[in-house]
Amino acid sequence: MTHRYIKVGLTSAVLVLAFTGLLWSTLRDGTEYFKYVDEVLPQRQAWEGKPLQLKGYVVPGSRLRKPDTLEWKFKVQNNPARASESGGVVDVSYTGIVPDTFKDEAEVVLKGQLGPDGFHVVKDGVVAKCPSKYEAAASASKS
Amino acid sequence: MASLGTFLLLSAFVVCSYAGVISVVGARRGARRLIESGIGAFYLVAALMTVASGVIVNAFLVGDYSIKYVHDYSDSVQPLFYRITSYWGGLDGSIMFWVFLLSVFGSIAVFVNRERHRELIPYVVAVISTVQMFFLYLMVVHRNPFTTFLTEVPADGRGLNPLLQNYWMVIHPPSLYTGFVGMTIPYAFGMAALITGHLDDSWLRAVRRWTMFSWIFLSFGLTLGMIWAYEVLGWGGFWGWDPVENAGLLPWFTATAFLHSVIVQERRSMLRIWNVTLVILTFFLTIFGTFMTRSGVVQSVHAFGSDPILAKLFTGFMVVILTFSFGLVIYRLPLLRARNELDSWVSREAAFLVNNWVLLFSAIFVLFATMFPTLSEAVTGNRLTVGPPFFNKWMLPIGLFMLFLTGFGPLLAWRKATLSNLRDQFLWPTLAALVTGGAVVAFGVRIWSSGICFALSAFVTGTILQEFWRGANVRRGVTGTDIFTALVGLVGRNKRRYGGYIVHLGIMLMFLGFAGTGFKKETQLQLKLGQQTTLGDYTLRNDAVKVSDDGQKQMVTAYISVFKGGKQIDTMYPGKYFFRKHESEPTTAVAIRRSFAEDLYIVLAFQPSDLAAQSASLQINVNPLVDWIWFGFAVMAIGTGIALLPERTYAFALAKLPEAAAGTASATATGAALLLMLWLSSASLLAQHEAGTGLMQPAKNALEGQMRDEIGCTCGGCEHEALSKCVCGQADQMRGELRAQVDLGKTHEEIISHFIAQFGGQQFLRSPIDKGFNRLAWLVPYGVGAVGLVVVGMTARRWSRHPDKDSASDEPKDPEIEERLDDELRNLD
Repeated sequence: MTHRYIKVGLTSAVLVLAFTGLLWSTLRDGTEYFKYVDEVLPQRQAWEGKPLQLKGYVVPGSRLRKPDTLEWKFKVQNNPARASESGGVVDVSYTGIVPDTFKDEAEVVLKGQLGPDGFHVVKDGVVAKCPSKYEAAASASKS
Repeated sequence: MASLGTFLLLSAFVVCSYAGVISVVGARRGARRLIESGIGAFYLVAALMTVASGVIVNAFLVGDYSIKYVHDYSDSVQPLFYRITSYWGGLDGSIMFWVFLLSVFGSIAVFVNRERHRELIPYVVAVISTVQMFFLYLMVVHRNPFTTFLTEVPADGRGLNPLLQNYWMVIHPPSLYTGFVGMTIPYAFGMAALITGHLDDSWLRAVRRWTMFSWIFLSFGLTLGMIWAYEVLGWGGFWGWDPVENAGLLPWFTATAFLHSVIVQERRSMLRIWNVTLVILTFFLTIFGTFMTRSGVVQSVHAFGSDPILAKLFTGFMVVILTFSFGLVIYRLPLLRARNELDSWVSREAAFLVNNWVLLFSAIFVLFATMFPTLSEAVTGNRLTVGPPFFNKWMLPIGLFMLFLTGFGPLLAWRKATLSNLRDQFLWPTLAALVTGGAVVAFGVRIWSSGICFALSAFVTGTILQEFWRGANVRRGVTGTDIFTALVGLVGRNKRRYGGYIVHLGIMLMFLGFAGTGFKKETQLQLKLGQQTTLGDYTLRNDAVKVSDDGQKQMVTAYISVFKGGKQIDTMYPGKYFFRKHESEPTTAVAIRRSFAEDLYIVLAFQPSDLAAQSASLQINVNPLVDWIWFGFAVMAIGTGIALLPERTYAFALAKLPEAAAGTASATATGAALLLMLWLSSASLLAQHEAGTGLMQPAKNALEGQMRDEIGCTCGGCEHEALSKCVCGQADQMRGELRAQVDLGKTHEEIISHFIAQFGGQQFLRSPIDKGFNRLAWLVPYGVGAVGLVVVGMTARRWSRHPDKDSASDEPKDPEIEERLDDELRNLD
């Protein structure tokens, strides 16, 4: 009987170790930091080049698009547009389709990397949430 | 009305607590009358909840905006049908809908089982009542859907999100809820069995069909969610590993595991603790999923806002569930001990075991990854998120392994497989897999995961066909009938096993669809007027971008000509709709050109500055094999249907088995649900059908007459009636339009394209244009009809035969195979 327990114990230990190892190694390149603009700006250098999900609000009137292309430049600030202070502001560049909800003042989460000249968003990396009364409804019916 | 609603909820709560307490007291004292009274009270809750639901639906219909919930989720211009569905459009209503469903399902389950499982019923009533009390308590103290404005009643509501005003969204939530809520029934029976100590397999028999029933609805809900994401959200995919989606997937994994491991318990009296644990976990995960999406614990783009009070209440409830359930399991451990041991790892039960572990691991992994941002914030203070790539990296090999097991498990014998029967069983499926694998390599498929998936799909198909073929052949030998009757008899004799195989076939088809995403092509670009682009085999040209208006919404539509091999094959109309009052949230009208091989999928991203130049921002996808996912689900539903059908359907082939009654119950429930939906839709449609002038001028010429038949009224209220019949105002207008076109001397095609331009799509046509994927839609009814005819014919032939002639050749031709088959079939269903 003890022989059997040793076998079971060893197998489980190996399996657990293998899974933890795999999980650890895949997690390292699968994760992104979720940060607000103001959390990143103070140590800007340190965050440059790291995979980030940056959360902020579109600065009203900052959205520019090169005519007849999908190249966008805009600014994102830490606080909602109507707050008394804007908080830190970051320049953002992106090429691709933006969601319908991407408007002035919209709350956005941007996936990409910070560079010296601003934040570069990866493809399909703009997720925007309009400050809407419907967000609860959407998920209620989704679940 | 609002106070009546609140009063109903309060009385439901009181009656519920009475039902729970009196049942337990009755069972302890063995007082039959107390128990009966508890059951009566339990039915009463269902009645009260039905009336309360009627009250809120009525409030939506008449537009009683003094009720906050009605104000928040509907408005007066909303089509009637969507006003009814607003019932479950928000948090408060969805909880109420939950209780309503639970009370109805619970009553049906108690009613059906009240004689056969008499000893369990009082505790079943008590457990379900407790769950209901929790949700009723939530509503009464915290989230009452009947809350009213104290002053300044608004004149109109805010309206439901246009994204949700979609056909798929109408049936998606109720289907998912049905799946979620239905899982409470097995849990209640499991708890009752633990409390009473009646831990033989009889409680399993009572819940097996309920689990299957809930499982198929859960699957249906998940599939509908995928369709909705694919067709309405317009990001080109169907599953984004969003927390809200994952919440529905978690109990699906454990329920699937239970449906498999329950077979091992029935067959070999093993895994008894395990099965109870799975039932508890499944129920727990439905509650946990609700908690996750409703309390703001997990951040998601479309999750609820945070609600700390709700989070606390839910946490408390979940702790109670876990402590109580597993406390009982530990208390009853001595009774739950397995009566058999695993003989060999090369056996059917071992395969089931592995399947269970893989499914459970999937559930744990998805749970972990979904909760990871929250966990990492709690532990390290840094909020780390994991995206779809991380999920895919893990779920891909797991999924492939699961697919492999689907083909592998059924080939193994129970107890211990010998080498010779391994060789015998594996030969053909393995050959099928190797041939397909070879073909995949030969065609130069570079994506290993999809290649393996194709080979495994062939393996699974080989397994299933072989099972059907061999079984039918043996049966034909025994009964001396033709192969088809033998096949029906075989399925009828063991519906769950062969229904299960058909479900496997469906799963396999879905995997084909998933594998197709590996070959997806996509591009995002700006197409100026007249400019072309090429993706895959397709060349697309922007012919125009136009704006039109149909009274309810403004539509921006791009006209994209599609060329393949130098020839124009189609014109597609991706669009953006701007609904009145929701101009800031346009909805996407995705244009999809479907075929078995691949979908061409175009989304128009509208930018106001593009309009003047008729320039279009487009996302274009070529999605291979995607439609097989929806087909796969249909096959799965058929398989589940076969497994759930009452015995009497097959009465001509077999003797009656005791489960018939339970089957009828679920069938009745399905029927009732369908009837309800039908009634809802017809009621709303009738009400919406406004009368027009009622005058109809005769058709001017044959063309006009023909086209009046082809074009359907688009008012949305009249079941799309032909213009030659419909008398509503919209039809009047459309007839005028048609006459004007005919007067201009246009041809049939020209008029059709004129209407397409006006409506931004083909929805005005009564039957889809006969080409491409549409042709399939044409084919299906005929195919179904033909198959039905064959079935009827065969059945009739079978019936008209003399019974004594059948039993003439009862001698098994191959005693060894017959014996093995019989051994496998016995006690399985």
